[in-house]
Amino acid sequence: MNEGAIHVDCARIGEILHDLDRPGALDSKLVESALAHAESCSRCAQLLTEAEWLDFGLKTVAARESNLQAGPRVEAVLLREFRNRHAAIARRRFQWRLAALGTAAVVVLAMGLFLHQRLAPRPNVTVVVRSSQAAPAVTAPNSGQQPLAGSQAADTSEYATGFVSLPYADDPSTLDDAAIVRVVLSRPALASLGVPVPDTSDTESVPADLILSEDGTPEAIRLVSQTTAEKSF
Amino acid sequence: MMTQATEITNDGLLRRMIAGDEEAFMLLYRRMQPAIYRYALRMSGNPALAEDVTQEVFMALIRDTKRFDPARGTLGGFLFGIARNHLRKRWEQDRRSVSLAADLEESGLPAPAGPNGKGLPVGADDKLASGETAARVREAIATLPENYREAVVLCELEEMSYEEAAVALDCPIGTVRSRLHRARTMLMEKLRERQSVRHAWGVSK
Repeated sequence: MNEGAIHVDCARIGEILHDLDRPGALDSKLVESALAHAESCSRCAQLLTEAEWLDFGLKTVAARESNLQAGPRVEAVLLREFRNRHAAIARRRFQWRLAALGTAAVVVLAMGLFLHQRLAPRPNVTVVVRSSQAAPAVTAPNSGQQPLAGSQAADTSEYATGFVSLPYADDPSTLDDAAIVRVVLSRPALASLGVPVPDTSDTESVPADLILSEDGTPEAIRLVSQTTAEKSF
Repeated sequence: MMTQATEITNDGLLRRMIAGDEEAFMLLYRRMQPAIYRYALRMSGNPALAEDVTQEVFMALIRDTKRFDPARGTLGGFLFGIARNHLRKRWEQDRRSVSLAADLEESGLPAPAGPNGKGLPVGADDKLASGETAARVREAIATLPENYREAVVLCELEEMSYEEAAVALDCPIGTVRSRLHRARTMLMEKLRERQSVRHAWGVSK
């Protein structure tokens, strides 16, 4: 007896019959044992022969039909579909890229504006339009005249001097469509306008109201104190 | 050129196809479509239906390539699976049983042999003409129930492994194996029966 031979009977042959010719499906020793059994068993030999004949028939069918294939019409239809599909994909891809580029541009613009607003130096001029009807009474500089009651700011926490006409100003009586604007000016700027302010507070900037003529030229100025009504200039 | 084409794997062609390479798609189609067409033809017996199914399989590949997952099996198995689903849909739509034998002549497949052929060979020297053998086997395959027929078509005629067939048939490998064994046993029985009938017919003649 062969060492390591596997016992194969008729029942086992029935189980493995269809895998005997399938490469790698069975252990080679099992195949050898099956063939050895078939040599001594006519029934199993008949089964093996029939299985071989079936294999031959199947291979013949496969070989004879190996050249069967779909007609050229199918290939043409598929090629057209492939081209249409990829043209559409390319179009969609281009549109997506365009949209992405647009979005990126908008984001960059928004960030630029934001940074510009954050980093740009803030002007130290606060403009508040108080009136556009008629100019209040204006006194000549250093005239010693007291401020008019009407020139007092509406805000009760404010105290304002009387308007002093600026050196180059026109005749105040001609200011029919003047506007009063609230500005914050540095002391040197005030001095350049002919309004020297003594350094009595710890702030460098001083709020003031300007009367602007119709063409926007400052015509008169008054100083405003927003801290206390008793404070004098 | 031909050598280069055969060297490229299906997965490589598929990647190029996804990128829009028309030539890769055509190579892949020409490589895969005969097997898909033959499967559809053998399962339906109808050449027009087989062409429709082949077209639908590759349409599905063009339209939704991402459905194919290489981790689940080969591209061949995936395409056969689509073909099988389309065939089943068509059969459900038609609500009719397919008579393969009736369509054999139209299909271009060689006609089945008449009842005057020889019986099954029992010896190596008793060989039938290959054409007659093929016709008998084809006729026997056509009479198999659908599940068994597709196991024979895929594993025997298209020489797919059990693993590939399992992907195509969407069932475990063990099921493929058992269906194929049962199908082969049925084929042998049918061929044996045919032999007896022919012997009887030949004797009476």
